[in-house]
Amino acid sequence: MSLLEAVDVRKFYGDYCALDGVTLTIEPGQFVSIIGPNGAGKTTLVNVLTGLTAPTSGSVRFKGGDVAGAGVARLARLGIARSFQLVSIFPALTVGETLAVAVLTRLRRTARMLDRLRGDARLRAAVAEAAELFGLAGKLGRPARTLPQGDKKLLDVASAFALRPEIIVMDEPTSGVSTADKTAIMEVLVGAARRVGVKAIVQVEHDMDIVFGYSDRIVALHQGRILADGPPDAIRADAHVVATVVGRRA
Amino acid sequence: MTTRLLGAAAVAMLLLLPLAGRPYTTTLVLPAFGYGIALLGLNLLFGYTGLLSFGHALFLALGAYTTAVLTTRAGVRHLELLIPAAAVVAAAVAVPVGLLCVRYVKIYFGMLTLAFGMLFYSFLYKFYTLTGGDEGLRVLRPFLMGRSLDQMDAVAFLTGPYYFYALALLAAAVLLMWRIVASPFGLALRSIRENPVKAEALGVDVRRYRFVAFVLAAVFGGVGGVLLVIPTGLADPQLSYWTHSGNLVFMLLLGGFDSFLGPVAGAFVFILLQDAVMSVTPYWRFVFGAILAVVVVFVPRGLLGLLAPPPRALV
Amino acid sequence: MAAGLQLVFGVQRILNLACGSFYALGAYAGVSAVQWALRLGLPRPLFLLALLAAGVALAALGPLIERLLRTIYDRDESFQLLLTFALVLMLEDVIRFVWGTAPQQLGNVYLAYGQLRVGALTVPTYNLVVIACAAGIALGMGYLLTRTRFGRIVVATAENREMAAAMGIDMSGVYARVFTLGVALGTVGGALVIPATAAMNEMGIEVIVEAFAVVVIGGLGSMRGAFVGALVVGVLKAVAIATWPEGEMLVIYVIVIAVLVLRPAGLFARATA
Repeated sequence: MSLLEAVDVRKFYGDYCALDGVTLTIEPGQFVSIIGPNGAGKTTLVNVLTGLTAPTSGSVRFKGGDVAGAGVARLARLGIARSFQLVSIFPALTVGETLAVAVLTRLRRTARMLDRLRGDARLRAAVAEAAELFGLAGKLGRPARTLPQGDKKLLDVASAFALRPEIIVMDEPTSGVSTADKTAIMEVLVGAARRVGVKAIVQVEHDMDIVFGYSDRIVALHQGRILADGPPDAIRADAHVVATVVGRRA
Repeated sequence: MTTRLLGAAAVAMLLLLPLAGRPYTTTLVLPAFGYGIALLGLNLLFGYTGLLSFGHALFLALGAYTTAVLTTRAGVRHLELLIPAAAVVAAAVAVPVGLLCVRYVKIYFGMLTLAFGMLFYSFLYKFYTLTGGDEGLRVLRPFLMGRSLDQMDAVAFLTGPYYFYALALLAAAVLLMWRIVASPFGLALRSIRENPVKAEALGVDVRRYRFVAFVLAAVFGGVGGVLLVIPTGLADPQLSYWTHSGNLVFMLLLGGFDSFLGPVAGAFVFILLQDAVMSVTPYWRFVFGAILAVVVVFVPRGLLGLLAPPPRALV
Repeated sequence: MAAGLQLVFGVQRILNLACGSFYALGAYAGVSAVQWALRLGLPRPLFLLALLAAGVALAALGPLIERLLRTIYDRDESFQLLLTFALVLMLEDVIRFVWGTAPQQLGNVYLAYGQLRVGALTVPTYNLVVIACAAGIALGMGYLLTRTRFGRIVVATAENREMAAAMGIDMSGVYARVFTLGVALGTVGGALVIPATAAMNEMGIEVIVEAFAVVVIGGLGSMRGAFVGALVVGVLKAVAIATWPEGEMLVIYVIVIAVLVLRPAGLFARATA
C-alpha cells in the first residue's frame, strides 16, 4: 500500500487556482523533492498533504485512510510530520521542553493533566535520544531563543523527527542556512531519518544541488500542475522541464 | 532557595495572622483568598496559554450568585456542596462561551470575553426577580464541615474558622494548579502560547487545549467567586462588570504572570495596597492607574518577576 | 466617538479602552466651559461654540498619552490594552477630583434653540443640532481620509504598516496625529451630548461598552461601519426600550457576540481571501 496519496487535488483561493488536478503517490523508501518556480503551488501542495488546508476537490489518503483537511495536529499524531520554511520554535521553552512536546504526542500523553514531567525517566530518555540525533544533547536546558540560528533550525527539524513520523514533509529545510551548512544539515537529516525509521521524506527545495544530490524522485510543479515526475536523471534529460523549472544550473 | 524561604515566610505569616494580627487586617485579606484562586485560573489562560480574558469576572460572578441563590433560595448551606456547585455552574457556562471564544485570539478573544461578561452583567441587572437587580442578592453564612456557625459573632467567624477554611482551599487550589502546569498538559499550553502553528505541527490540538484551559480557568474563577462573597454576604452585579475583570488582570500583572505564584501574590498585594492607598486618599483609582501603567511599561514580569528568576525547566 | 475608536484601532491596531474616559472628560469639560462662558456673558444660543472649544482643547491630551503608549508599541497588544485600562482608572479619578461625584447638568440651556414638532413628537432642536454635527464630523472625516494627503497616508498605514514605513512615511508622526484625532473625536462627542443628559462619574466606563458594541457591529477599523453600527445600536436601543425595557443592553450584547462570532471583521467588512 502506498504511504501518502493525493488524487486529482484541486485548490482554489477565490478565483485563483493554486493546484489544478495534482495526483501524487508516495511510496515507502522514497526521498521526493518538489521543485518549481515561485507561485507553482509547492507550498499549497505541502499544506494539503499535511492536512493544514483542505483541497477544494480531490482526496488525500494516508495509508489508505482519507485525511483531506484533517488538521495538522491530527496528522502529526497519525504519523505525518512537517517542518516550516522559516524557523519555527518555541522561544521561551528549552530545547528539552520543545522535544518533550513532540515525544509526549508520540507517547499519547499530552492530554494528561496530573502527570509529573520532572522525574519521568522514560520521557527524559526519549528526549535525550531525539536531541542526540541532531547534536543538541548538550543544550537541553537552553531556552530555544538563546540558540544560534543554525541550532534553531536543527531544533525545528529535530522536534519534527521526535514525533517518529512515518513520513516527513519539509518546506525548504535548508532555507536561511549558508550554502556551506546546507549539505551538513542534509547529512544529519538523512542520517536521522534512517535511524528513527522515517519511511519517506518529501521536501520542497530550491537548491538544485541539494535536490539532485539527495532525491530519488523529483516532482516538478508549474502553474498548479505536475509538469514532470521521475528520477533525477529523467528530469535532467527533460529539456522542457529544465527550461521552465530547473533553470540553467542543472 | 530564596524564593522557597520567601514562600515559607508568607505561609507562616498567613497562618499566624488571625492569631497575632488585628481582626481588621485579617478580614481585609479574606478577599485575596478568593481572588487568589480565581487568578490561578486566569493565569492558566494568560500566563500559560497566552489568552488575555477581559471578562473573567463573569465566572466569579457566577460562583457568587450560585452561592447566593443556593443559600437564600434553596437552603443549601454546606460550603462543601456550594463549592462543587459553583464549579459545575461555571463550567456549564464556560463550555458554550469557551467554544465560541477560543476560535479567536488576542484582541478578539479579549473583546468576546468582555462582551460575555457584560451580557451576564446586564442579565443580573435587569432580571430583578431572579437576581435582585442592582441591589444584589444576600449570601447566608455557610456551614463549615457540616456545622452551623450562625451563632458565632461575624468577626469571630470570619477571622476564625472561615479564615482557615479559605486558606486551606487556596492551598489546595495552588497544589492542584501546580500539578496541572507541571504536567504534559501544562507543557502543551505553554507551547501554544509560544507558537500555536508549531504546537499544532507537533500534534497539539491547539483549539481543544485552549478550550480546556478556558473551562479550567472558569472553574477556578467560580470557586474563587464563592469565597469572595461569603465575607461580604452580598452578590451584586458589579462582580461581572468589565472593570472588575480589568482589576483581575491588574492583579495578575502586579504579581507577575510568568511565575507560578505571581497571581496569588498579586491578589494579596492588590488588596493590601488598595487599603493603604484608600486610607490616604479617596482617589485610589488614580494611584492604581499610575501603578498599572508603571508595571506595564517597566516591569511587565510583575513583582515576583523582580524577585525570582524565571521558572526552571521541567524536562 | 466610536469614530475615534475606529480610527485609532484601524491605524494603530490598538484597542483603546480609555476612549470612554475621553468621552466623559469631554462631557465634564463641556459643562464647565458652558457655565463659564455663560457667566462671562456669552449669548445663550452660542453655547455650542463653548462646547466645541472644550472638546477640541482636551484633544491636547492626545499627544501626551500617545507618547506613553509609544513605549510599548512593539509589545503584545494585551499590554497596550492594559495600559489603556490604567488610563481609564486614572481619568476616572481625575474627573472625580476636579468635578466631584455629583452628576453635572446644564439645566435646560439646550432649549435655547427651542423645540420642534415632528408629527406627534416634540424634539428639542438641540438634538437635531447634535445629529447635524455628527453628520458634519462624519463628512469631514470622510473628506480628510479620502481627499487629503494626510488622509491617504493614514489609510495606507492602516492597510500596510511596513509598506507605508518603507515608503518613507514618518510612522511616529502619523501615530501621534491619528491618536490625537481619535481623542478629539471622543472629547468633542462627549461635549456635544452633554446638554441633553448629565455628566456622571460612571459615564466613561459605561459608554465604552456601548461604543465598543457600535464598533464591533460596524467592523473594527472601518469608518463607515462605525456610523452604521451607531445607527444599529441606536435603533435597537430605542426599539428595546419601547418594547422590552429589561432587555435593552442584553439585546445589544447578544448582537455584539453574534457579530463577533459570525463575522469577526464586522458586518460590513469586505471579505478577505
